[in-house]
Amino acid sequence: MSREGFRKAGFLLSLFWLVLCIFPLWWVLVTAFKPPLAVSGGATYVPFFDFQPTLQAFRDAFSGIRGDFYGPIISSVLISIVSTALAVLLGSMAAYALIRFTFSIRLLAGLLFGVLAIGGFVVMTELWDMAVPYALLIVLFVALPAAVWANGRNLPGPVMGNDDVTFWFVSQRMFPPIVSAFALFLLYAETGKAGLRLLDTFGGMVLAYTAFGLPFAVWLMRDFFESVPVEVEEAAMVDDIGRMRIFAQIVLPMSLPGLIATSMVVLAFIWNEFLFALLLTSSKWQTLPILLAGQNSSRGDEWWAVSVATLISIIPMILVATFLGRMMRSGMLSGSIK
Amino acid sequence: MKKLLMSVAALPLATMTHAECLPDYTGVTLTISTQNGPYVASALRTAADSWEAKTCGEVNLVEFPFGELYPKFLTAMSQQTGDFDVIGFIPAWVPDFAPYLSTMPAEMQQGDAWDDLHPVYRERLMSWGGEIKSATMDGDMHMLNYRADLFEDPDNMSAFKAEYGYDLAAPVTWDQYYDIAAFFNASDAVDYGTAEAYARGGQQFWYFFSHAASYTNNPNNPGSMFFDPETMDAQINNAGWLRALEDYKRGLDFNPPGSLNNGSGDVRPLYAGGTVAMNLDWADSGILGATEGSIAGNVRTAMLPGATQIWNHVSGDWDEFNAPVASPFLAFGGWQLAVPSDSANQEAAWSYVAELTSPELSGEAIVTANTGVNPYRLSHYDDIEKWLSIFTEEEARSYLAAQRASLDAPNVALDLRLPGFFSYTEILEIELSKALAGQVEPQEALDTIAAEWDKLTDEFGRDSQLAAYRASMGLPALN
Amino acid sequence: MNDRVKHIFIWPAFLLVLVITLFPLIYALTVSFQTIRIVPPTPARFVGLDNYGDILANARFWGAIGTTATIVIFSVVLQYVIGLSVALALHHNVPGASLFRVTFLLPMFLAPVCVALIAKMIFHPVLGPANEFFTMFGLENLPFLTDPNFAIAVLIAIETWQWTPFVVLLMLAGLQGLPAEVFEAASVDNVSAWRRFCDITFPMLLPLSAAVIFIRLIEGFKIIDTVFVLTGGGPGTSTETLTLFAYNEGFKKFNIGMTSALSFLFLIVVIVFGTLYLAGARKLTQRYEQ
Repeated sequence: MSREGFRKAGFLLSLFWLVLCIFPLWWVLVTAFKPPLAVSGGATYVPFFDFQPTLQAFRDAFSGIRGDFYGPIISSVLISIVSTALAVLLGSMAAYALIRFTFSIRLLAGLLFGVLAIGGFVVMTELWDMAVPYALLIVLFVALPAAVWANGRNLPGPVMGNDDVTFWFVSQRMFPPIVSAFALFLLYAETGKAGLRLLDTFGGMVLAYTAFGLPFAVWLMRDFFESVPVEVEEAAMVDDIGRMRIFAQIVLPMSLPGLIATSMVVLAFIWNEFLFALLLTSSKWQTLPILLAGQNSSRGDEWWAVSVATLISIIPMILVATFLGRMMRSGMLSGSIK
Repeated sequence: MKKLLMSVAALPLATMTHAECLPDYTGVTLTISTQNGPYVASALRTAADSWEAKTCGEVNLVEFPFGELYPKFLTAMSQQTGDFDVIGFIPAWVPDFAPYLSTMPAEMQQGDAWDDLHPVYRERLMSWGGEIKSATMDGDMHMLNYRADLFEDPDNMSAFKAEYGYDLAAPVTWDQYYDIAAFFNASDAVDYGTAEAYARGGQQFWYFFSHAASYTNNPNNPGSMFFDPETMDAQINNAGWLRALEDYKRGLDFNPPGSLNNGSGDVRPLYAGGTVAMNLDWADSGILGATEGSIAGNVRTAMLPGATQIWNHVSGDWDEFNAPVASPFLAFGGWQLAVPSDSANQEAAWSYVAELTSPELSGEAIVTANTGVNPYRLSHYDDIEKWLSIFTEEEARSYLAAQRASLDAPNVALDLRLPGFFSYTEILEIELSKALAGQVEPQEALDTIAAEWDKLTDEFGRDSQLAAYRASMGLPALN
Repeated sequence: MNDRVKHIFIWPAFLLVLVITLFPLIYALTVSFQTIRIVPPTPARFVGLDNYGDILANARFWGAIGTTATIVIFSVVLQYVIGLSVALALHHNVPGASLFRVTFLLPMFLAPVCVALIAKMIFHPVLGPANEFFTMFGLENLPFLTDPNFAIAVLIAIETWQWTPFVVLLMLAGLQGLPAEVFEAASVDNVSAWRRFCDITFPMLLPLSAAVIFIRLIEGFKIIDTVFVLTGGGPGTSTETLTLFAYNEGFKKFNIGMTSALSFLFLIVVIVFGTLYLAGARKLTQRYEQ
């Protein structure tokens, strides 16, 4: 095929894919306005042409007849925004440290930590019958300093550097979420028994989601920071300005596009997250995805109600995606993708 | 913080003006929970409004998908979180929930409202371990719903008589049911013959049980439908169950397409919208048909078909009966309300329960569409006046008579209630949907279920399971 | 540079991940060696590797692996092929590229739950547009969601729809980063478009492709939202993925010990799979680089 032929094929393919992408979105938008007859009679596509649109589904949803809509919406908004902010903040700090400083962690020290932690935990909970949260706390305060101290000694064996630490952070994404979600559920249940309520609470969810978003934040911000020229910072250091201030007042503003992009990506993942919310929430902090899954069960053919609920979840994300798409066009993000 | 936002958001909607709060629960907020509406949840909401007006308390209704109710409730109660003050759930879960539920206050266990409850509900379903742990808010059994216009149409009647040799009427055996379904499926008078639920997670196995009761609930061997009442061996793969599964599967031919994915919520509009001539369902179909459907005036209800042959597991053969024996299946049992023992507002919670189950409020709920509340009080059956607001007199008589007859039937079949209910029904649902999809042969599926059930029984403790099963079937303890 | 301040930067993130992601695993590991059921309440009993053994002997476990692997592999292959093609098209500036760029991002940002709900409507065997479409070809009322094979096909289609944009995004960036000189040389030599692709573009993209496919495979293994909403794992267990299986065990039957063991086995499966893939990918990349 000639070059022109390929180009034509490419165009057709893109067009086809565009239609495929848009159609389901069109469908859900249109279905939200359908009266029951427009659904049970067979597929209809164009408002005013195939059927008479109505706002009844929206009214039903927001009047609360169909259950509490406002609650999950507020939960999702609050939890997502706070978790994203925390994840991006902590992640940027970690990413910055990984770019500008050197870390060296001896493998043996890491192993020491592992052995002490698991061993100590098993001993305390099985042999001494201690409650799980207390055992974990003790492990934290004993094994960790011990490992840090051991790291300072000159131990033999391989040393892990910055790249390995980054890999450690990013590899958290590889964990099947059910593994950590279920384990976290067990842990939260145990802390609940010990007195600190974490299941179905704002704090519990924010902690979980911040940890969930950190790998993204570290990964993305690291790339953005790499494109910030070192000279500016060096100039500031000559003037004896503290590292923290340099970070907050120079580096962060310079990588604002990157911060925004990362925040949007992290926000999208947290907003849409299902499994953690399913396991860790109950009545008080149900998020939107759980509400949506619930719409599925006893609604039968009430597609208009389902569509309204779906739209509420989708529209903020469409705004996010559009915004990000525009940013990409202006080439601000091309470096980070690598 | 969230409460603040919620109350700010709700300010424009608040219209509370009240003179006196009796009893006074100002400042008390009850968290009540049940499955996603509108069924059951709307009844809870209506009662909440009425209770709030009377007592100045507040009610917060939380809904979950049906499949999530059991895990959410059990997690909360076993963790003693105090999350829920009132829970709406099904009797099948009472054995698992009972240790965590508070007992009904003694005042509620007497008086006119108490005596008004039908004995089957009062004595069988509300108690466990000798204590009243929950309150019935709904009476459930499966019925056969059919259409008067189709069944009484002279052309249909003569055509049917010509083809099958007997009069067209509400079927009293399953063979008749399928004859009629085939007839109407082929006829132009209506689109399809019948509608039943087949979808996994769509409460499908209760439909299967309704078929099975007729072939396995042997009046000579009470309580032998699901398990052997002496040994706790699973009975679900005996010849009676096999026939029931073959019947259930046969029905697919007379159902609308896509019915393998139909849950109980889907069969109702099919009947009420006039697409099918009959359906099997709880009494909600009748209400829906009369109020929101297009078949108003033609709703008729009958007891579930029975059989002339019932399996006898002791003799290993079929018992023959001269006339069809009806074994109406009290599918589901009827939604229950209970107050978890870790609730901080037990007194207020039980007062709410009393309000919802009161003859007045429940009397309203049973004639309102989409509430999921079906009759369970004697007054519900006897007082025909309120039914005339939605039914014609003929409809009302047929509707009430069928339910009353089912409850009073000598061979009424009770639903399964066992600790670990979910484990038993999970394997049932899996194998059932495989058999319906044609992936395995019916007998093989049933054998797999039976083997797994026996394994579960052993794991949970055969003796305790046997005791629980005998209690749930109304049999005295073995000694 | 080894300022002590570096610790302030990294420890908060490090601690959070440690406490929330890793510590619970220690607890879950110990649980996986015991039998703990909440319903009916049975006291915890140490059983060693019994839970693991039970699961490995359970056909449902292997079925779940098979189902998950099928869905993931097919959908990732489709994602890659379609994604690369679309990326190539956009790279060569077909008309309307800027509009395409924005809309192609959209599916990626929607909650899988939402996508599944929409799909449930579209693939309804009687009332959905998919049915109308197929009826035009004489195939009426296809059992999209109730037949095991169809259901898996629908799931693959949904995964492909949702995540091809991810591939497009990354491959496009990769294409834009390729050195221009090589292509100028090729046009001087008057190489055909197809040969140019096979001999130059594709090999240069190989490392990126391998990485993208790897990410999509690992991410794909986690699938649960879509299946939960669309089929619930049915019919039978034919669309039950590993995560859904674990969820059902843990939260419907409250078999805590078994579920913990299952989670760890899942982790091992993913690690094994990932390692095999990386080894294979490395070999392939090295071969091509010759």
